[in-house]
Amino acid sequence: MDLSLIYQSLLLALCAAGLYATVASGLTLEFGVTRIINFAHGEFVMLGAFQTYFMFELQGISPVVGMITSGISMGLLSIIVYWGFLAKVLKQDEHNQILATLGLSIFILNMAVILWTPDTRVMHAPALLPTLKFAEIIIPGNNLVVLLVGCGLFLCLMAFMRFSRYGVQLRLASDDPALATLAGVNVDRMFCLSFVIGGITAGIAGGLVALVLYVHPYVGMDLVMRAFAIVALAGLGSIPGALIGAVLLSVIEGIVANFVSQGASWGYGVSFLIILLVLLVRPTGLFGKELRS
Amino acid sequence: MKSLALKKVAVYFVVIAVCSFIVLANDAFSMQLTIGVLITVILALAWDILSRTGQVTLGSAAFFGLGAYGMGLLSPLLGTFGAWVGMLAICGLVAMLLGLLTLRLRKMYFAIATLGLALSLQVLVLVFRDWTGGSSGISPPVLLDADPQLQLLAITGFVILAMFVSDYFLSDRMRPALFLVRTNPELASASGIPVVRTRILIFTVSGMLAGIAGALYGGLYGYVVPTDVFTIHWSVIPLAIVILGGMDSTLGPILGAVMIKTIEEIARFYIGGVGYQVTYGAIIVLFVLFLPGGVLGLIKELFKQSVKGRI
Amino acid sequence: MELSIKNMTVAFGGLKALNGISLNFPSSRITGLIGPNGSGKSTMINAISGVLKPTFGKVYLDGESIDSLRSDQIVGRGLARTFQIPRVPPQLTVCEIISVPFAYVGRRHALIEGLSDARSIAQYFDLEAVYERPCADLSVTYLRRLEIARAIACGPSVLLLDEAMAGLSHEDAVQVSDLVRRVHDAGVTVVIVEHVMSIISTLCDEVVVLNEGQLLAQGKPFEVLSDPTVREAYLGKGFKQ
Repeated sequence: MDLSLIYQSLLLALCAAGLYATVASGLTLEFGVTRIINFAHGEFVMLGAFQTYFMFELQGISPVVGMITSGISMGLLSIIVYWGFLAKVLKQDEHNQILATLGLSIFILNMAVILWTPDTRVMHAPALLPTLKFAEIIIPGNNLVVLLVGCGLFLCLMAFMRFSRYGVQLRLASDDPALATLAGVNVDRMFCLSFVIGGITAGIAGGLVALVLYVHPYVGMDLVMRAFAIVALAGLGSIPGALIGAVLLSVIEGIVANFVSQGASWGYGVSFLIILLVLLVRPTGLFGKELRS
Repeated sequence: MKSLALKKVAVYFVVIAVCSFIVLANDAFSMQLTIGVLITVILALAWDILSRTGQVTLGSAAFFGLGAYGMGLLSPLLGTFGAWVGMLAICGLVAMLLGLLTLRLRKMYFAIATLGLALSLQVLVLVFRDWTGGSSGISPPVLLDADPQLQLLAITGFVILAMFVSDYFLSDRMRPALFLVRTNPELASASGIPVVRTRILIFTVSGMLAGIAGALYGGLYGYVVPTDVFTIHWSVIPLAIVILGGMDSTLGPILGAVMIKTIEEIARFYIGGVGYQVTYGAIIVLFVLFLPGGVLGLIKELFKQSVKGRI
Repeated sequence: MELSIKNMTVAFGGLKALNGISLNFPSSRITGLIGPNGSGKSTMINAISGVLKPTFGKVYLDGESIDSLRSDQIVGRGLARTFQIPRVPPQLTVCEIISVPFAYVGRRHALIEGLSDARSIAQYFDLEAVYERPCADLSVTYLRRLEIARAIACGPSVLLLDEAMAGLSHEDAVQVSDLVRRVHDAGVTVVIVEHVMSIISTLCDEVVVLNEGQLLAQGKPFEVLSDPTVREAYLGKGFKQ
């Protein structure tokens, strides 16, 4: 076995960690604040990917700009979805909440299939960064972008939650909505904000997806399954945990791809097995909030 | 409640009567259509039974596929009857194991785990292609020599079985207990109900029913490929059917299945491809928001209003 | 049946909701459990009934340890509790709410004379009038009586009442306490957590006072309620009566 090949594939897998972390942290933020698992989160990523793709392929707009625009439009879409739909659902029981976001996910997914066909597309974007070469390891520039943007976005999110005024309000609204209301926090607006932030991160993540993965209506589902595995590993509601979980998952995927026969085609299987293992050993995840069963 | 019992018997009567009529009419297209509807009825009843304990499963496709593949893999080894028993055993076992892991926890872990199961089984089949035939598929034993009339009769029989099971879990003893488990597990436990054990039992029954649906599907033509049965479609359809038709009932899923089939045929015609499933998403969203009781709930509400009006 | 707890501690992270408490609840007495908010009363009920697992300590029912059992198993052993806020599925009827515990547990125990089925339990608690009505239709008065009926339908030898009078008018509360006394006279050990002092003084043979997770006082209602340390716990220091 060629060691450098293994290092290479592991490092490439790590680049994906930045992407996974971004997707997972949006999901876990939404859950942490509103206690809803947004099954449609993956579809927002998918829409962002399509937007970045079309902006590049049809108008020649740089993927960097495309990413940012996707982030903004997904943020706007989140506002519409929240006030038009999710706000109502929050008042119903958990059973209905799961069904509602699931229904939304199915709707958006199939709309994408209708509008853009289920063909797989690949965005042939130029390298935004030069390829990194050291020893015998080659990391293509765009993968580096994914790593940097993904981690950068993640750090911004953490800083926002820790230091900004809204971040404090969000955390208060998530820990104790009743207390937050008494403290003058507009809890409804905070719920909406968590979805907007989730949407923005999803949109940008979508741009990253278009850059290094493929563009396809089901790409959201691929990622969301991984996001669930990450959130299970890290614990629901923990944003810092999402990064650690993402790194763990991508490393495990890299190892499986290299050392297990046909490991590369295991795809969802790795995520699923991780979820099962975590549920078996430590259901709250490594850093998660208290489980209420 | 004599009138309630009468209503339930009437439903069985109607189902048997309609299916018998279609068998006698011997029209290939209507028989094929009805078989399709009946298979989804079994799947939908399996979903609804589970939902009565408050669990949302996205794993119907997993058990559906296990049913078809179970028959295909086991019948060369155990014969057709042995394969049925083995298939049910496998579905039950998988359900029990997954249930033991996830049913102590928040509901969304269960939903995610069942989704993961469905997606992963497809991968499993493709990866272990020497054992499962991979993407070239598998040949479950053909049901009743591919005679549509006999198939329709047999499947009707299984639907009646599924209806019995559903009605059992709606009986005076089971229904309140399941609803307590769903709405307030703490209160249920304080009333002497073993909550986790109940959830696992129901999940096992539900998994086996879904497996039966899959086995019947596989037996229609004697050939299935992984993308036929392990696809998300079979997890979404029971959801849409039950939400449309009406949860917590036996009649609701039946009504829902008929309506979904109609909508599906129309949508396939206008939209085509796979995208017609957008209608499922739209239905789920609209009904959860505005009509959570489904069509059956609407009918009951209208009936109540008209009765009040008379008095 | 006698209920007792030995050295019970329930800690949430660093916070000790209950700190090394030992108590006996003999069957001959109706014991009241009082204390200011946050003193650990509900935590104790939750720990005894299996909703929580005590961090340390043991719970004994009729001499047998029950602290490692699940709530439904504890109900099966003969200990039932009510909830402050029952949250019943609104579409279920009174009949159904009583039938379920009776079918799962109560049938096997048959402790109180004459309570042989769900209907007789409903009659005992004056719920005949609403027997077939869904819980969504019931007033607070009926709901509170239903919750106690539900617990009795488990056929318990020990009954824990967690603020069973909350929200009731004085007349209704008196009616409910009469029911509680009837239940006790039929042989059920009763422990009642309550804020309404008039009920405590008329109903209880013995009162236990908790404060900040520890035992503050114990004795006859009159002694305890006129104890200055108890008043201080409720009203705070510096409030001289």
